[in-house]
Amino acid sequence: MTSLSAKTALFLAFFITLVFLLGGIRAEMLEKIVDLPKSIGVWTRPDSARIIDSSNIFQYMNGAGELYLSYNFDHLKVYEYTTKNQQDSILVEVYIMNTSNDAFGLFSIDWGGEPIEIHSSPSMRSSPTVAPPARALYGGGLLRLWADTIYARVMVYPDTPESKEAVLSLGRKIAANRKMPTEPELLKFLPQTIGSNWKLRKDRIGYFRSHLVLNSLYYLSHQNILNLDHSTEALTAPYENISNAGSAKSVQLLFIKYASAKKAKKALDQFHSAYLHEHQHGRDPRVIENQMNFFNIEDGWLGYSLNGTYLSVVFECPDRASAQTIINHISRNAVFKENDHGK
Amino acid sequence: MENNPKCLTRRDFIRGTVGATLAVSVMGVPWTDTVAAVDRPSLVSVVRDKNVMDAGFRVDAEILKTMLDQTVLQLTGKSNIQEAWTELIKPDDIVGLVPTPHLNPTHPELVDAVKISLMEAVGISEKNIIMAQGGKSKPKPCTALICMPALKGHWLTGIGTVIKNYIMYSGRPYDYHQEDSAKLGEIWLIPEVKGKTRLVLVDAIHPLCDKGPQPDPRYKWPYNGLLAGTDPVAVETVCLKILTEKRNALRGEPWPISPPPICVEAADKAYGLGTSKIEQIKIAHFGWKEDLLLS
Repeated sequence: MTSLSAKTALFLAFFITLVFLLGGIRAEMLEKIVDLPKSIGVWTRPDSARIIDSSNIFQYMNGAGELYLSYNFDHLKVYEYTTKNQQDSILVEVYIMNTSNDAFGLFSIDWGGEPIEIHSSPSMRSSPTVAPPARALYGGGLLRLWADTIYARVMVYPDTPESKEAVLSLGRKIAANRKMPTEPELLKFLPQTIGSNWKLRKDRIGYFRSHLVLNSLYYLSHQNILNLDHSTEALTAPYENISNAGSAKSVQLLFIKYASAKKAKKALDQFHSAYLHEHQHGRDPRVIENQMNFFNIEDGWLGYSLNGTYLSVVFECPDRASAQTIINHISRNAVFKENDHGK
Repeated sequence: MENNPKCLTRRDFIRGTVGATLAVSVMGVPWTDTVAAVDRPSLVSVVRDKNVMDAGFRVDAEILKTMLDQTVLQLTGKSNIQEAWTELIKPDDIVGLVPTPHLNPTHPELVDAVKISLMEAVGISEKNIIMAQGGKSKPKPCTALICMPALKGHWLTGIGTVIKNYIMYSGRPYDYHQEDSAKLGEIWLIPEVKGKTRLVLVDAIHPLCDKGPQPDPRYKWPYNGLLAGTDPVAVETVCLKILTEKRNALRGEPWPISPPPICVEAADKAYGLGTSKIEQIKIAHFGWKEDLLLS
């Protein structure tokens, strides 16, 4: 017993040291992130950045703070460059997220704009992607970029060739020497095409962890009926009908990975109860694994499938066969992944 | 969530059962048609001038003042500006101006134009014109309010223009997001606010058709207009129509405002603040016709 306690104490000490060490490394990595010039063109910034964290984010940006807190947010650095007459300014917001997936998520909310190359070295570029390959997008004076654990917004007013060049230059400074991690693993579940009819709308892929973001991409319910939280990863991905016979209307795929199979099952139960409450008889509650169901509701056929920790739901399908084809395809990927993970 | 037997979902919007679901899940009271006005033809004025804003987004104060004059004339049906303004505001009123400070702020030139009109056309002294945006105490001394938001979407409430403009008067703005945004209309009925709004004047010069949550210049466009009315829900409904049409035009495919702006229908049906039915709204347009977005 004494020996066991000593071992436990030793293990705890080792574990705590490791946590502190890793925490320190992470904090150090986060802190050495941004090295922006004091001046760029006719714009100059104050000596220090304004630091925003979860305790004061609502003072800084009101309800917009909910967006960043719905991902794994660490802190935000704000720099404001102004001209001598204070009339023109460049606002630089550097969001330091806890993972690169979270930074990607913020970037993925809107794929619009002109793609900008911000990494000068080809070796920094990542492998082929499911989502659009852009890592920086510019439009109307706003540059948005994703670089490792950073999501940044650089906005200038007014938008002129000169100010655009300054904004892009700042963007390149922010991204300089940063890793180019691959997009979240979850995207690999999304096939480019399904059968001969359905093609992924890459420019509408969204990655998130919160029903608030889900609702801004594809409204489902004001309440959190899918139990999304920081431990979940979720994707919205429309597929458009490319067959000559079918209508051009897209279907919407929602794909979620939960922290455990138990959580996934509970979320599906809640979703079914809230969204398909009149279809309780259509499912067998005794079936735990690989639940697959299809329902004809007001806006088309809805199908879902539960595979361990993965939940796939497809909305607005023109017929049952389409819903089945799509869900079967996604489920196969999920089953394969679950089995692979189990080995 | 688990204690709530019925929550609002996408399907309620498709089925047209939003009102009933809101009544049960948000207000906790049966839906009451007695609150809703049955037949209220509401007038919404839309005045536009292509030149009110230049390519650098600078507003021409003189043109804006002319647009404002046209707005009140059109809204009141009067033939001169003094009569028109005094139809809305009395000389002994203490007037609170309520512009929007965030995301897509109301142009200060519009605030100035209203101030000048109140002083020159109505004869109100400057000390009786109060900047009344802010906490609960702000509207209290006012006998009249002019709601002056800028046209914009909002990522937690769908639209963040008219009904939401009084959110700070609640003293607890975070209680009115998401599903609870349906309750935004109740703020218009608190004693400090109820019955005081004489004019809803929307700055639609440079609207923001996406919801943010932070400004994105790609979604701002020069509509160069003023929208106005005395029915806040009708004005909001017209705002919603313009935002929706602009979003669809931008993407070339349906791009619905998301989350849906449930505060608009609730303001009509639960709080009786006006009409959210576009067919019951008379839109009076004057000026620039291109891309009116109200067909």
